[in-house]
Amino acid sequence: MKEKLQEIQNKGVKEISSATDLKVLDEIRVKYLGKAGELTQILRGMKDVPPEERRVVGILANSVREKMEIALSEKLAELENAKLLADMEKEKIDITEPSTGIKRGALHPLTRFNNKFIDLCVEMGFTVIQTPEIETDYYNFEALNVPKNHPARDMQDSLYITDSILMRTHTSPAQVHAMETLKPPFKIVCPGRVYRNDDDSSHSPIFNQFEALVIDENVSLKDFMIMVKEMAVRLYGKDVKMRVRPAFFPFTEPSIEIDATCQMCQGKGCSLCKGTGFSEFFGGGIVNPRILEMSGVDSKKYSGFAFGPGIDRSVMVTNKIPNIKYLFRNDMRFLKQMR
Amino acid sequence: MKVSYKWLNDFVDLSDISVEVLAEKLTNSGFEVEEVIYQNRFLHDVYVGKITKIEKHPNADKLVVCQVDLKDRKVQIITSATNVFEGALVPVSLEGADLANGVKIKPTAMRGVSSDGMFCSGEELGIDENYIEGAGINGILILPKDFEVGQKIEDALMLNDVTFDINVTPNRPDCNSVVGIAREICAMFDKKFKNADISYKTVGGNVKDYVSVEVLTKNCPRYMASYIKNIKLERSPLWIRSRLNAVGIKPINNMVDITNYVLVEQGQPMHAFDYKYLDGHKIVVRQANENENIAVLNGNTYNLDKSVMVISDKDKPVVIAGVIGGTNSCINNDTKETVFECAVFDLKSVRLTAKKFGLRTDSSARYEKGVNINSPSTALKRALHLVCQLGCGEIVDGIIDIVNSDVTLEKSETLSLSYSRVCKILGVDIPKERVLKILNGLDIKSTIEGDVLRCVPPYIREDIKNENDIAEEVIRIYGYDVYNDVEGVAFENSATTIGQYEPRLVMENNFKNVLVDSGFYETLNYSLYSASACDKLLIPEGDERRKVIKIANPISEDLSTARTVMAHALLLDITYNLSVGNKDLRLFEIGKVYLPKSLPLTELPVENNRLSIAVCENGFDFFKLKGIVENILVLTSLEYKIERSSEPYLHSGVSADIIAKDGKKIGSFGKLHKLVLKNYDISQDVYYAELDCDYLVQLPEKKYETKEVSKYQAVERDIAVVVDEKVTNAELMSATKSSCGKIFYDVQLFDVYRNEALGENKKSMAYKITFMSDEKTLTGDEINVAVNKVLKSLEFRYGAKLR
Repeated sequence: MKEKLQEIQNKGVKEISSATDLKVLDEIRVKYLGKAGELTQILRGMKDVPPEERRVVGILANSVREKMEIALSEKLAELENAKLLADMEKEKIDITEPSTGIKRGALHPLTRFNNKFIDLCVEMGFTVIQTPEIETDYYNFEALNVPKNHPARDMQDSLYITDSILMRTHTSPAQVHAMETLKPPFKIVCPGRVYRNDDDSSHSPIFNQFEALVIDENVSLKDFMIMVKEMAVRLYGKDVKMRVRPAFFPFTEPSIEIDATCQMCQGKGCSLCKGTGFSEFFGGGIVNPRILEMSGVDSKKYSGFAFGPGIDRSVMVTNKIPNIKYLFRNDMRFLKQMR
Repeated sequence: MKVSYKWLNDFVDLSDISVEVLAEKLTNSGFEVEEVIYQNRFLHDVYVGKITKIEKHPNADKLVVCQVDLKDRKVQIITSATNVFEGALVPVSLEGADLANGVKIKPTAMRGVSSDGMFCSGEELGIDENYIEGAGINGILILPKDFEVGQKIEDALMLNDVTFDINVTPNRPDCNSVVGIAREICAMFDKKFKNADISYKTVGGNVKDYVSVEVLTKNCPRYMASYIKNIKLERSPLWIRSRLNAVGIKPINNMVDITNYVLVEQGQPMHAFDYKYLDGHKIVVRQANENENIAVLNGNTYNLDKSVMVISDKDKPVVIAGVIGGTNSCINNDTKETVFECAVFDLKSVRLTAKKFGLRTDSSARYEKGVNINSPSTALKRALHLVCQLGCGEIVDGIIDIVNSDVTLEKSETLSLSYSRVCKILGVDIPKERVLKILNGLDIKSTIEGDVLRCVPPYIREDIKNENDIAEEVIRIYGYDVYNDVEGVAFENSATTIGQYEPRLVMENNFKNVLVDSGFYETLNYSLYSASACDKLLIPEGDERRKVIKIANPISEDLSTARTVMAHALLLDITYNLSVGNKDLRLFEIGKVYLPKSLPLTELPVENNRLSIAVCENGFDFFKLKGIVENILVLTSLEYKIERSSEPYLHSGVSADIIAKDGKKIGSFGKLHKLVLKNYDISQDVYYAELDCDYLVQLPEKKYETKEVSKYQAVERDIAVVVDEKVTNAELMSATKSSCGKIFYDVQLFDVYRNEALGENKKSMAYKITFMSDEKTLTGDEINVAVNKVLKSLEFRYGAKLR
């Protein structure tokens, strides 16, 4: 009996280990462990075994069954895994075929730049505001110290609707609205469209600006410069260089023009920056106290600075856009490059 | 504004300041030098030579061989010019010369005879007959006999100056002059200003016996005149011509040149009349009469009106004031007596006149920027000094000076300011001594006692009023480069402010992100368009959007109207893109429409921000568009229903309006009307949607509140019913929902089927209904009861038959 069991075990385990597919393995299981299987037969014949041997044979028989079952399940797992691997091999595809589903579109480069700049301003404590594009002559000129006889107030340069209402020529009226409605200290930034009577290959009659205004006690040109430097670093990276030039704006005094490393050539000098390595970044300065007074801010107590970058040019430089007209042409071949 | 180095040197010693250093310093002090022009750039290696001998060329009939004396050497030049002669002084260009017409000189041999260089014409030297006699002819420039042989031509012709083209900012009209810039240079380099010589001799008499002046317009605050007789009209001396040439003014004759010289040097325009043509010997400054005419020096005749200020004699206009002189009274070859005009005209009046006639002269350019009321007195004396210096006329005693203004002449105000505030504005502590030195150097007489900074700006500096103005003067001379590498913390002594986004921009950015994720590209379009947009979009007469704001002075018809409809721009974008072969267009824009409260505009209009979406893509349909609109609206708390749209530009059968709970239309979406497509030359279907962002942003923020999910399993049942075409999905869904009772969870349309077998105008609608209870597992019976109720209800209300 013992020998027989041993023989079944040896033979069975050997057959199991040499099985190559699941069907064969199942046949082996039936052959030994099925209802009429060899081992099952022996276990059924246990009643014929003399009682004194029954225990020993029983233990042996169970051990044989256990070994065979383990061998079977191990082999089963092995064959199943092999089949999965084989299936996967069949599923192999050409991964260079194109993707499917909806392809993401893109924001306009101007929105991208605006968002980046707005984030920057908000982090620095500025509140974003919006003021009208159709403005009164008071907000657009008068309250900003642009005198009645200034050329900008001629029809030649601005788009008028009536004698006293026009398309704003800059975002600076936002300064006046802010000073009239907000209590200092405050910092505001106003992005928006502006309009000029100007349409040629390098000018767009509609373009975009930012207006930023800080009103507080003890605000100096130095604060302005430190802040602008920080903005330049965040927009253009820490290697950016700055250059300050005197300038003139009716609403600031002193007024300055700040150049930053030309982003087209990274300061090497190109046609855009006329070889100087610098291109215009911001114009601005300390708010003229006359303007503070006109808008009801106490110029003895408060001072402030205002600045406004023209953003179309920065967008062009940042994205290496060859022509300003691209910004409003909405050609898909251009827009797709912004993905 | 052009000034020259030598001219500046008359007023400030530049001997230790190079051209390059000067240009950089000017730029850094607020006077941007846009260009530096070396007058001698085409004149190197050209000398004054004397032709000592002319012989025929042995091998060429048309050439001669000249021996030329250059003082320290002799050269041989071959020329074909016929106006050369032995003893003539001529410009000789030698090896290395690079002439104005692009010719580069190198020694050569012509038909076997060597030539060391070339004789030059005026053109080759970049000058013309106005500059020197003989420069305009088609031949060699024969130089005056008194020129020094061997001298560099640039020195002999006084073409050795350097011109700076400076951008003078509008706040500094006083610097549109050589003296103005020279004063600035004095301050920049701590130098002393050398005053112009304004002394002159007179020959007795009284100007008032010769000419009378009357000012009849408020546009002329000051008018000065003087009278000069026995004029010797001729070319100006070379030094005057050289100065004028350097700043781009054509020399004409001594009298006219003197007025131009003063214009550039003092920034004060002048005019010289031929006395004998001033009828009645009278000068009247007045506004022109309607339909008066004047022929002026540029050869044109202009028809005048009341807006134009003129100088007239007894009867007729003789000058368009401040702009250009008339031909009827100008200096000409037989002028014997002249009247010099030196006046101030209102800048706006001059600008509008110059613009009206498209005439921008050196004179009008100065007046447009503003000429100080004190300016004429020095300028006129300077002109008279030059008359004496040149010995070209006899000055009669007296100057006519009419002041037609309330302004007190030569009055300077004393400003009492705070020194510490100046430093505080700059954020830089500049020592008191330095501040005083800078200000006094700028001729702003200043003292400091304690913190009190007393300043007396010169009367020409009308721009200086407060600490900010003084701060700018100080820092631009001190140097803005202190800020180049500025470091530290901003707002150290100021309050902290908390930044805030603008809610609408935030919401719009969220919308934009949904659209970009759905394959859309953002566009930007002009917010001004053609008045025909409403016609193309079939907007009917009487529609509010027909009330448009028109630009009074539009650039073109295409930019003449503030838009009231968004769709026009995107449709033009689609037309454009299709025309260049771009396909599958998913575009959007967030922009404004401008809705007047009344017309003509008396108050500012409503600026309504709107999202506009357009799709032109194969396989796109209404329901895809609807899904996109829903994905946007789900970001808001808007509760809405949709109705068939009444938008005139949408397809009436395939479009919907979005209606808020308060009944307001928030937007529309659907297929474009086929006539509209035709108007835009688009031959494919376009789907379009528009939403009112301003309405959406004022809604309360969307709240996300959740409920417990049921512990019990949901059960699904499918039903399909056949109904008339006119029955809508919304009706069937709503009836289904209401007839299921408490155990209703969800219903979804999953199939719509049409077939002849169903009958004419019939469709089959298949729904998946989901039932669920929060309290128990539903039994089959309960569900059957509910489904039956649904079917009965659908049949009762809409004649639906179970399929």
